[in-house]
Amino acid sequence: MGGIHPVVVIWLVLAGPVWAAIGAWGLPRVYRRKGLDDSQARLVGGLGGLTLGPLLVAPLWYFTPELERWYWGGGPGILAALELYTLFAALDPDNLCVTNASYVANQVSNGLIIGFIYALMAVGLTLIYSVQGVISFCHGQFYMLGGYVSYYLLQLVWDVNPIVGVPVAGLVTMLLGFVFERLFLRPMHLGRIERAGEYAILITFGFGFFLQYTVLAAVGPFSQKADPYLGLGSFRLGPLNLIPNRLVAAAIGIVLIGALLYILNHTWLGRALRAVSMDKQAAAVVGVNPLTMNTLAFGIGTMLAGMSGAALIPVFTWVPWVGAPAATRSYVIIVLGGMGSVPGALLGGLIIGLVEALGAGCYPDPSKGAAYKTAFGLVIFAMMLLLRPTGLFGREL
Amino acid sequence: MSRKLMSVFLVMMMLAVLVPTALAAPPAQEEGQDYIVVADDWLSKLADKYLGNPYAYPAITHYTNQKHAEDDSYAKITDSNLIEVGWKIYIPSAAEAKAYLEAPTVKTVATGEDTIKIGGVGPLSAPGSVVGGIAMKFAMELAVKDINEAGGVLGKPVELIFADTEGLPERGAAVVERLITENKVVAITGEYHSAVGLVELEVCHKYGIPCLFSETWSDKITASGYPEVFRIAPASSMNARATAEWFAAVGVKHLVIIAENTDYGIGQAEKDQKFAAELGMTVDETFFVELGTEDFLPVLSRIQAMDPPPDAIRVAVTGETSYNLEQQMAELGIAPTEKTIGTANQVAIQPEFWESVPNGTYFVFPLVGLPPSLYNDITNHVAEAYKAQFDTDPPSYALEAYDSVRILADAIERAGTTESKALIDALEDTDIVLAQGRYWFKYTSKNPLPTDGSVPAYMWHQWPDPAVLLLQYFEPNQDWKEAAVIWPEVYQTHGTSYIVPGTKP
Amino acid sequence: MKHRIDSPLTSSRYYRWVAAGVLIASLLLAPIYLNRSPYQMEVVTGAFFYAILASSWALLAGVAGQFSFAHMALTGLGAYTTGLLGRDLGTSPLTGIIAGTLLAGLVGLIIGLLCLRLRAAYLALFTIAFSEIFRIALLTEFQYTEGSNGLQLAPLYEGITPLAEYYITLGLLLGTMALMYWLASSRFGLFVRAMREDEEAAAAMGVNVVRYKVLIFVITSMIVGLAGSVFYHQVGIITPNTMEILQMSLVIAMAVIGGMESLLGAAIGAFLSRVSLELLREINIMGVHIEFGAWRYAAFGLLLMFTLRFAQNGLLYPIIDWLFLRRARQEAVAKRKQAAEVES
Repeated sequence: MGGIHPVVVIWLVLAGPVWAAIGAWGLPRVYRRKGLDDSQARLVGGLGGLTLGPLLVAPLWYFTPELERWYWGGGPGILAALELYTLFAALDPDNLCVTNASYVANQVSNGLIIGFIYALMAVGLTLIYSVQGVISFCHGQFYMLGGYVSYYLLQLVWDVNPIVGVPVAGLVTMLLGFVFERLFLRPMHLGRIERAGEYAILITFGFGFFLQYTVLAAVGPFSQKADPYLGLGSFRLGPLNLIPNRLVAAAIGIVLIGALLYILNHTWLGRALRAVSMDKQAAAVVGVNPLTMNTLAFGIGTMLAGMSGAALIPVFTWVPWVGAPAATRSYVIIVLGGMGSVPGALLGGLIIGLVEALGAGCYPDPSKGAAYKTAFGLVIFAMMLLLRPTGLFGREL
Repeated sequence: MSRKLMSVFLVMMMLAVLVPTALAAPPAQEEGQDYIVVADDWLSKLADKYLGNPYAYPAITHYTNQKHAEDDSYAKITDSNLIEVGWKIYIPSAAEAKAYLEAPTVKTVATGEDTIKIGGVGPLSAPGSVVGGIAMKFAMELAVKDINEAGGVLGKPVELIFADTEGLPERGAAVVERLITENKVVAITGEYHSAVGLVELEVCHKYGIPCLFSETWSDKITASGYPEVFRIAPASSMNARATAEWFAAVGVKHLVIIAENTDYGIGQAEKDQKFAAELGMTVDETFFVELGTEDFLPVLSRIQAMDPPPDAIRVAVTGETSYNLEQQMAELGIAPTEKTIGTANQVAIQPEFWESVPNGTYFVFPLVGLPPSLYNDITNHVAEAYKAQFDTDPPSYALEAYDSVRILADAIERAGTTESKALIDALEDTDIVLAQGRYWFKYTSKNPLPTDGSVPAYMWHQWPDPAVLLLQYFEPNQDWKEAAVIWPEVYQTHGTSYIVPGTKP
Repeated sequence: MKHRIDSPLTSSRYYRWVAAGVLIASLLLAPIYLNRSPYQMEVVTGAFFYAILASSWALLAGVAGQFSFAHMALTGLGAYTTGLLGRDLGTSPLTGIIAGTLLAGLVGLIIGLLCLRLRAAYLALFTIAFSEIFRIALLTEFQYTEGSNGLQLAPLYEGITPLAEYYITLGLLLGTMALMYWLASSRFGLFVRAMREDEEAAAAMGVNVVRYKVLIFVITSMIVGLAGSVFYHQVGIITPNTMEILQMSLVIAMAVIGGMESLLGAAIGAFLSRVSLELLREINIMGVHIEFGAWRYAAFGLLLMFTLRFAQNGLLYPIIDWLFLRRARQEAVAKRKQAAEVES
């Protein structure tokens, strides 16, 4: 048992889940009975029960403190991660993740770098949701299209660094997003469509289907890839092995997300978008046209998807069906971060990047770890739905 | 409702047949004549001059070959693009030409008694490997064109009916069933995915129709032992064996396998493990990955953490997924390096390889089929046509698809009938040189597999000699035809069985 | 003064029963024509299967307002359950089918409990992810599932004929359709519809919203689990590729084009789409050979979008409506008018 007392293991395996269930089931009821806000109680109760058992659940039960601050959820969350890691180390002492620190550092850095790239796409999706209240099921296809626009621009028209393709692809996908929104989503906001929620899912889904097969029919199933941003090969930084191309893609992600956050928080446009996302009627009263903001938000969202595609085509090989898995990942990210929250999507992207890297890197059966890479995201997804459906930064259900 | 659709469809089909017939060119020559080819002649020019229609040249080919069969002084035209000065050919009368030219058009939708129908199967839509299906379909159509230009089979034109399996076994079974019962094909050929082929062969067996597989590697295909099943692609064991032998020859002791979690990848990994054990190598780790994975760093970091690094990394991942893997492997400096041999998937011969894997120098990759130096006239002919269409050299599965149609045509010709039993019998006696070399089947009903198990079961109706070569790039952006052939020794082009990264041969 | 109102609905009801009877009779008698070609028989049998999927999806999405992308995954779950049980424990197909149906229902229950107290979009997101993960797991655990080679399933019984398979699938279709129609028109269906229109109002009226939502999700999960486990016994093999999102997309498109709110419309839509996708692979018009390949899917996507935007009831439902329901409506209006006259 790798030097760890069996009692600890038994505690973690058997007692922890029981207390987690008690906490997650019981605490919200206690809070509700006392007439307090119970939105955090399930998460804190579950995680607290899992990590500290009665030591945390009992005081919460009696004193029912306000659980607003982040450390109530974050503290037990970090503790849970540490305890699970200890358990893991006890059960599988020869695992590389236990024995080799620089290996872990490498996986973590790779996970974070790819996490920024994932986040860029998810941010667009969450922005559309926050303003429109619509999940775009064609987001992956806009991502795919962005890559192709950049590729054909660079290969066939200009021969320049692929970084130039990013804004151009963003522009093209944004315009297409505007057109689609005006033609198919605006009638819904104008109340011309019955049962808008279902219509929104299906119409975006149908458009994605159409885009994917149109591109497939037009460019064929052969794979393509743009020239790299920088020279080739990796370089070492301490224990880390870094690939310059990915760093550039991640940097593009950071810059764009930063720019978006700035626009949202410090410009009139951003305030208008946020106003519409909070209350359409009130926004209209103060002179913001919600319909225009809807179109803008959708266009900016598709632009971000297209830009993340263009940022990645020098890194990964492109085929017309790259969109679907990427979109699935984005769905997990925005649920994790809280639907509609841009910082949440950023954090969610990083977490998913980390979980995928560490999951695949630490899975006890090395031959299968990588194949289950995407599956680890779902586990997080399911846990999030169980414990805190609003996500990390979410406002409402 | 569906009957109505059907009848609309049928009416459209009939229109499609009748209109071209009505529009056929007016006669230009009353009587047929002999003609001696002079410089600067080509068939379509002659057809234009004497028959008033440049597209009537297949008629000249057909009638010349017909005459050749009776009288040796007429030339035999095997390739309509290639006629030589001094050849005696026969230019038919306009009426004869018209009769010939219209015949196949009318017959394609007639009851099927006047054409010989061959069923082609392959994936033309996702989730199948569309690239493979398109190439195979093109090559098969080329073969049919060549056969018909040379006079068809048993005096009748051959017709290919290609059906899309979508890479789904249940679809494969359904379309083969349709080809056999509905279209009345005399034989089935093609297929790219082993999983689909394994189901299709059951249908062939049920109806007793010969099934010649051109690109399915699973051992189980020919190991089924069915009299109807033939294969001209290598069994995956044959392929794995060649690579394993080469690994042993260049002194590999520790091996890492990265395989996709499909029938192909899993089968290949199992065989690699088996042969590695037989040849005294250790497989340190086998990683299975999901097809469509983009980021391989989690796996590659594991390899990077190995001390000492493995001697070789074997990649059993296909398509664009393999490009991502190979590029990241090279970019991170894991393989190919001085210490570690890097292998790539056979799609490394595609022109997209260098775009996707710019760091791909020194990768070793398998080539199933002849080395470019051993191309014969037929190979060159297929390569030329393929290049004109796809702007790249034909992959092995295109050559195999081409050959498989011609093998069937040859067998039908020798059998003198399309009856299944006779056809299977004739297929067993195949001995013909085509694009990939000389085809024959060693273990047949006349020479059954030994019962003591000394010969593996997959050798039944299996072409025993498919060439499995290993090539290695040694310069960036190298054309695969320029790459060094390093294995087997008899084909070596640069006198070495491995070029150490950083050196030149 | 008493007016005798001419039995208001009798004639239209009679008309509908006759129409349904003719439809069912022609499906029952179709094999006389189809029997000549095993392939056509197989296409039609397959189309019945898709009709079950599309109509149950229509019940879930159109009637109950729940968007699931897990239909194909649940058929696969049913088929793999019976296939694995048959292979490893030697159970009979019947036992396997029951187990597959129950397991599909159980998984439906878990998904339902997880997602259905949340907004509709969560269910859509979760089911997409679930389908993908299930497919990946089937591929990765190839030692147990045969991976992409596919799992072979025994025939339903030894010596089954295509004719028997036709009638079994048809029976399944008619049975599930009857069950779903009964559900949709029962008190239960009324609640479910009410919830779709206004969840809060329904809750206020004392309908336990989550329980009903979960229940209908479980029922449709069991229907598709049953259909999958029976159908793949007939096909003889199931592969993880069957569960790709593309296949699910086709089912959804079929249901929408047929008419999402009409079970019959969705079923007929699925049937026709299946047959026409088969016919549209390539066509010859005036001697020009056209291969559609990926374009036919692109066209399908476009058709789906325009149907949604401009014909929300689908393309087939209005026809059904015009043929069978118009008279009923007219008569109902006439009756009301008559009654109003009487009162005045």
